[in-house]
Amino acid sequence: MTAVQPRNATGSRQSLRTEVLEERPVNLDGFVEEWPEKGLVAMESDFDPQPSVRVEDGRVVEMDGRERADFDFMDSFIADHALDVATTEASVALPSGQIARMLSDPGVSRSDVLAVTRGLTPAKVLDVVKLMNVVEIMQAMQKMRARRTPANQAHSTSARDNPLQVAVDAAEGALRGFAELETTLGVVRYAPLVAIALQVGGQVGRGGVLTQCALEEATELDLGMRGITAYAETISIYGTESVFVDGDDTPWSKTFLASAYASRGIKMRFTSGTGSEVQMGNAEGRSMLYLEIRCILMAKGAGVQGLQNGSISCIGVPGAVPGGIRAVAAENLVASMMDLECASGNDQSFSHSAMRRTARMLPQLLPGTDFVCSGYSAVPNQDNMFAGSNFDTDDYDDWNTIQRDLQVDGGLRHVREPEILAVRTKAARALQALFAQLDLPAITDAEVEAATYANSSNDYPFRDVLADLTGAQAVMDRGITGLDLVRGLEAAGFHDVAENLLSVLRQRVSGDLLQTSAILTADFVPLSAINDANDYAGPGTGYRLEGERWEQLKQLRHVTSATNPETEVR
Amino acid sequence: MTSLEIPQRTLTLTETGPARRGTRPDEVVIAVSPAFGGTFTQTIVGVPHAEVLRQLMAGIEEQGVGVRIVRVWATADLAAISHAAARLSGSGISVGLLSRGTTMIHQKDLARLSNLELFPQSPLLDADVFRAIGSNAAQYAKGESPQPVPTRNDQMARPRWQAKAALLHLKEFECIRDGAGPVELEATIERVAG
Repeated sequence: MTAVQPRNATGSRQSLRTEVLEERPVNLDGFVEEWPEKGLVAMESDFDPQPSVRVEDGRVVEMDGRERADFDFMDSFIADHALDVATTEASVALPSGQIARMLSDPGVSRSDVLAVTRGLTPAKVLDVVKLMNVVEIMQAMQKMRARRTPANQAHSTSARDNPLQVAVDAAEGALRGFAELETTLGVVRYAPLVAIALQVGGQVGRGGVLTQCALEEATELDLGMRGITAYAETISIYGTESVFVDGDDTPWSKTFLASAYASRGIKMRFTSGTGSEVQMGNAEGRSMLYLEIRCILMAKGAGVQGLQNGSISCIGVPGAVPGGIRAVAAENLVASMMDLECASGNDQSFSHSAMRRTARMLPQLLPGTDFVCSGYSAVPNQDNMFAGSNFDTDDYDDWNTIQRDLQVDGGLRHVREPEILAVRTKAARALQALFAQLDLPAITDAEVEAATYANSSNDYPFRDVLADLTGAQAVMDRGITGLDLVRGLEAAGFHDVAENLLSVLRQRVSGDLLQTSAILTADFVPLSAINDANDYAGPGTGYRLEGERWEQLKQLRHVTSATNPETEVR
Repeated sequence: MTSLEIPQRTLTLTETGPARRGTRPDEVVIAVSPAFGGTFTQTIVGVPHAEVLRQLMAGIEEQGVGVRIVRVWATADLAAISHAAARLSGSGISVGLLSRGTTMIHQKDLARLSNLELFPQSPLLDADVFRAIGSNAAQYAKGESPQPVPTRNDQMARPRWQAKAALLHLKEFECIRDGAGPVELEATIERVAG
């Protein structure tokens, strides 16, 4: 027999202040007690292994308390492909406190840190970052980020999968500063049209923006190989063998997929994050951060240039336990201290509280990461088909103001309305013309007009969905490639857009986008850890928000003119 | 036998023996997970399990279709629970339920990981949705093709419920009895006087 009392039925009187606090948005968020035995714990667990390593005949024979005979496939992969066997015994033997100090001390160079970290086992990495508070984690991130210049990434999607909306919001997003644009679908059959729209819109907004379409892995690869997309990101990896196998995958199958992209010169990164294993009920009693460190080392072993992490779609899990957001900051740092590009999350709905949403991203915004958000919603969250982001279009002015207040570069800038309307119209016209050239379902002038001024998908005329889906299938059946898009744009008179897209496609021949943390400037110069290596070495060094870029970021929607205080700065 | 009291109704689930394969072509089998109506008494958003079952059964019976209830002990995987129940159902149609409320309509000839309708966002399932799910399951049992129950979506469900869902899932896992077969249940739902 069990009995349940009615909830909140104590009948005792509440204070008026309690009533006010109960109504605060933060109390709509979910919080749970830790349960370390089951892995429902951020990063401090007695059930995580202790660091150890032993090498015999150039081979790791023991790692983190496990003999090779007892390795699961994650252990094997990490021991054989991620750890530097020449240095691992010496690195693991260093006191963890010493390594943590090297990480946060600006006097120790990034390359000196890497010489140590590439030999660290998962449990040793955890032992090191457990010693660091969030400020030390940020201090370390500022130095360990691979690319000197920070950047940002956007989502451009549509609740109706309307290609036109995706194109114009991509154009506006690119103009505002996003270096990468990502889309996905409600109805996956729409993918070819929406991926084309993203690519065209992006190149109208700012030549050199890179685009990707998150899909089931085979289709995502197909679109990449055709040159309709420029990079790939949604290749998920997990920290336990059981969760990996549940997804019919292994570290080797994911690595094979990664090499398929590399073979065509296409940029790609893996995706992982704290909380996914416990969410699926198979954390094997390990903390969220320990399992995520295994993912990061697996990515390193696979030879991919980068990783999207920071809990990503499981952010509600670390977000609900004590110290969870510290663990998320630590996982970003670990990706960077393994010399991987880090696209650092902040890409999923996280909290009802605007204060909490902001606090969650400061450990990435303040030190700068390769992509502060791996999906800032460049559409209103109601249109976000990644299930909502931590920031959306409503937050643009807040983001720009925070950059200006703290003099930090979060990758965006304020753009005046006439410029925005101009690129939105041009993107809509370019897509309209391209669809006509390729004999795809027509985009009307009324749609172009609506797209120019729209906020959300509700502001657009309805499209004929069945005709669009037939058109989308035709893109696949006819074997349309990125070069067909270039040709169509050129024939339709959009020479500059065609030129931009062709320049992006050329990158896959040079292979420059395979370098760690590569993005393209507006002049199509790749910026990566090779030619834009992070050289932070303390105050006055590294990336500084100054000069022309700082002048740009001083602009906001409303700034009173000092020359004539009766007007605003234009 | 477990029994629980809720403000309006009590739910008593009594095991009556191993679950058997039904012979009536006009029945739907409802399958509940190991902790349903026992360790747990309500869904993730506090819909009492008594109400969940009451609405599902009413939705089925309104279509003139019979209903049996079983408990699957050996797994907390919704697809496995639902598919096991579909194979026990005389019509081949089942409704699977996790304690937190996640629900699925399944059919015995489909692949286990497929389904007729899935309601993954447990925080958004209320009494009306459970009644509609029962109604649709019964219509499938009659060989009809009902309009799927409209799915709901709430992007703020993640910050509010994701961690609690993980916690409930872990607890449900602990109630699994390895190797135990499904059992037939008799459900008694009674109004509480006063």
